[in-house]
Amino acid sequence: MTLTVRQARIIARICWTVALLVVAVPFVFPFLWMVSSGFKSATEIFGQPSLIPRVWRWQNYLEVFEYQPFARQYFNSLYIAVAVTGLTLVISSLAGYALARMRFAGAGLLMLFLLSALMVPEEVTIIPNFFLIRWMGLMDTHAPLILLPVFGSHGVMATFLMRQYFLAIPKELEEAGKMDGLSPFGIWWRIALPMSRPALAAVSIITFLFSWNLFLEPLVFISSLEKFTLPLALSNFTDSYGLPLWHLQLAATSLAVVPILIVYLIAQRQIIESFALSGVKG
Amino acid sequence: MADALTEKGSARSWRAPRLTLRQREAIEAWLFVSPTVAGFLLFFLGPLAAVVYFSLTEWNLLTQQATFVGVKNYVDALSHNPDFWHVLRNSFVFAMGLVPLNMALALSLALALSRPFRGVIFFRTVFFAPVVTSAVAWAIVWRFLLQGEGGAVNQMLALVGIDGPNWLREPDWAMVAVIVTRVIKMVGLNMILYIAALQAIPRDYEAAARLEGASNWQIFRMVIWPLLAPTTLVIFVITMIGSFKVFDHIYLMTGGGPENGTLVLAFYIYEQGFKFFNVGYASALAMIMFVIVLVLTVVQMTLRRRDMQ
Amino acid sequence: MKHRMRTLTASTVLALGLVSGQALAEELRFTVWTGSEAHLKMLNEIAESFKATHPDVTVRFETIPAADYTQKLTFQLAGGNPPDLGWMMEDAAPTFAAAGVLMDLGSTLRSAEGYDFADYSEPALGLWVDGEAVYGVPFSTSPFMIYFNKTLFDEAGLEDPLQLAAAGKWNMDTFQDVAKTIKEKTGKWGFEFKDGQGYDSRIMHALMPPIRAYGGDVWANGECGFDKPEAIAAVQQLHDMVFKDKSIVPPGEQGDYFSGSSAMTINQISRASKMPEAGFDWGIAPLPSGPAGESPVIGQAAIVVFERGVQKELAAEFVAHMTNKENVAKMAQFFPPARKSVLDSEAFTSANSLIPAEQMAYVSDAIAKGKVLPSHEKSPQILAAMAPKVDALWKADANVEQALADVCAAIEPLL
Repeated sequence: MTLTVRQARIIARICWTVALLVVAVPFVFPFLWMVSSGFKSATEIFGQPSLIPRVWRWQNYLEVFEYQPFARQYFNSLYIAVAVTGLTLVISSLAGYALARMRFAGAGLLMLFLLSALMVPEEVTIIPNFFLIRWMGLMDTHAPLILLPVFGSHGVMATFLMRQYFLAIPKELEEAGKMDGLSPFGIWWRIALPMSRPALAAVSIITFLFSWNLFLEPLVFISSLEKFTLPLALSNFTDSYGLPLWHLQLAATSLAVVPILIVYLIAQRQIIESFALSGVKG
Repeated sequence: MADALTEKGSARSWRAPRLTLRQREAIEAWLFVSPTVAGFLLFFLGPLAAVVYFSLTEWNLLTQQATFVGVKNYVDALSHNPDFWHVLRNSFVFAMGLVPLNMALALSLALALSRPFRGVIFFRTVFFAPVVTSAVAWAIVWRFLLQGEGGAVNQMLALVGIDGPNWLREPDWAMVAVIVTRVIKMVGLNMILYIAALQAIPRDYEAAARLEGASNWQIFRMVIWPLLAPTTLVIFVITMIGSFKVFDHIYLMTGGGPENGTLVLAFYIYEQGFKFFNVGYASALAMIMFVIVLVLTVVQMTLRRRDMQ
Repeated sequence: MKHRMRTLTASTVLALGLVSGQALAEELRFTVWTGSEAHLKMLNEIAESFKATHPDVTVRFETIPAADYTQKLTFQLAGGNPPDLGWMMEDAAPTFAAAGVLMDLGSTLRSAEGYDFADYSEPALGLWVDGEAVYGVPFSTSPFMIYFNKTLFDEAGLEDPLQLAAAGKWNMDTFQDVAKTIKEKTGKWGFEFKDGQGYDSRIMHALMPPIRAYGGDVWANGECGFDKPEAIAAVQQLHDMVFKDKSIVPPGEQGDYFSGSSAMTINQISRASKMPEAGFDWGIAPLPSGPAGESPVIGQAAIVVFERGVQKELAAEFVAHMTNKENVAKMAQFFPPARKSVLDSEAFTSANSLIPAEQMAYVSDAIAKGKVLPSHEKSPQILAAMAPKVDALWKADANVEQALADVCAAIEPLL
């Protein structure tokens, strides 16, 4: 029996899909396992593995909030990520605009300096920053968790993304704005920014995730439970002797991950488009 | 405008001197970049200079006493401390395992998912989902899945007749495990960047090549791959730097063990500085890390530039 | 106004002859690693009773999770935000004392009325006293005990460790035998290292008890003891149990005693609070004796005052209050005391509502005979240097003698 072109195409399609599904297993399974274990008792997690809990312990998800100020820690992570994202957008788009559109002495040198910052991992400067933050009296506050990402290598990366995008959009509208007597600030705010929504969106997403996942900085700078952010809080579901309470830890982990995933699911088309349009491709 | 130029330099009264357009633009530009520059000086250049100074001292974090010791810390690291070379080797193994695996997988997935078909949204979402997951959550779950006998990974392998190793207890397998789980976590971001780049390539190029009878592979090799070069460079640099600074993943998955098999530079710096309180030695290590990353980036960029010419 | 009021209180207090005049501060910050409601309730009651002499003073207990405790404490100290007081584990004590961050409490304690510093058992103070200086007061001197799952022992038809101990047959050999039988008859693990962390964060807690039972030590007087014949024999036996008998939970597996997956474990009596929800019959017994006889191992934690705290004098007075006879007796329900008077009292053996008095008798016996876990000024470095070598030990084909020699080679420069 010979296959028609159409049939061959369908078979190829099916093969492709099956292959992709197989590759997808290690991407999806951890989530399923995590959420299902969040419903189990500690004993069952160690027992015969099964994705369906024998007994659904909904109370795990309540206990998470009783065990430590988890709602507060959740809020900390959220507001810090929002603050970091907002500040980064303003500062990086200002600098990115100047570097793309304005001529000034030292611009080349500045670019070079900023470029070098891109290459320095946070671990390199964490010790002096520890002393700096102590000197500023900001230990055990959220300030370092906002300031360091905004002005550190991540902020520089955002500046570059913005600069690249501004370079790529047409100049005409801005020229017209100048004719109309807009100040440079006015041009940036009324013309350049509205035109660069995709880049702003891409920068927001990367920045939000960066802040949301920050681990080393909170580990070093935060010591009070109620000031913890999620990454610290998650590894902290331990009993009085420091032993992990796995069922609570996994329930909390699900709570930390699932909302973000839902937002991503809803916005995923826009997210991918904004990356495509923003020219992150460099 | 001519006005401004002729008056340039002439003595004015106490009022602000009238500036040329050029000067005004420069001042405005500096205003625009001033927050970035201020932050850069305070939180980056200052601290970097401080690291250089610290690295020349013996400094105990707990007693807070410092003595100047010159280049002793560097000499110690490079010639007296076998741990350092072991750690450096681990960092390179990690990077050399992670970067190619990540980029190859990202590109393959992007090629498969750059054109619309039924289910494409689903797959893009699936492969990107770990990126938005916190690294802590990811490590916690994988530590469970990778347990010796009871772990889900080995149980799945057993279904196809493979007797899986005790992943996180054997130095070499532990390295494999942290690399692969890290790739699964991060590959989505690079995949999206590649998808974006692929979608920006005009369809005509491919169509033209096809008319000339080029095979799929030839099209990829001769048309698509060269056009992806700028994206590849960016992805390479970002992924490479990211792989050198990996900390949370190691901290939570293996703590640097077993047998120091996954002890990488970033983790070692943290341990020296904040666990053993050797601020000076940790700073010297940090400087070495900075130089390595810098050199790798510059080399890669130069090679690429030559390539493109 | 406020100041005058404080002066007034202070003079009243002075009249009582209890404190010096500087005791004028409001709040003391006290870091602990327990988050247990019962523990915190008791601590707050003690803080409340401090008001009798210091009406203005409140104490805020701040929980730092045990896993990161020492690390976070270091960040607070180095970050210029030290707590006034804190709990400290035995393994961290020498490092902190050597760095000069702990206050000498000697004069405060010796001059505190009715305190009777000599009541503290001398071996228990060893780690915390240097000449006349006292850098911490142990509030928990807790011996390692065997916890056993009575239900599993019955199922396997075995005498439990308590019965064996009473018959004088509880030694390292019977320990290995019962563990093996349990594994064969019930399919559950015979033994789990302390908290299941014997291969990573509790290396010392796993190796220490058998090594001491065989008459060895991990180090002493700057010399490594891992490569001595006693230690080799002890570790070889453990190694056989893990890899030949397969009766000890091996590396990379979970065999949680508290959820019934292992028949025995080693732990301190504070863990008894986890038992009511365990759902099986249980008991505690002494550690098995070895060729060297009985050699209980003790884990210790003390209350310290930080030198850089602004209210250290007041904090020292609170330590004196917290560790007086009455309060030590009160804390004994959770934390075994180092005060001889409390230890010998019937109040102690009956203090723990979860553990019967005859089992508690083994606890006080162990405190009297036991030795504190080893510690060292460079503990963090020693542990880090040891860890990779100990990882190599815990492999099926490892040569125990060679692996232990490697451990010594790694840590000797640090001792």
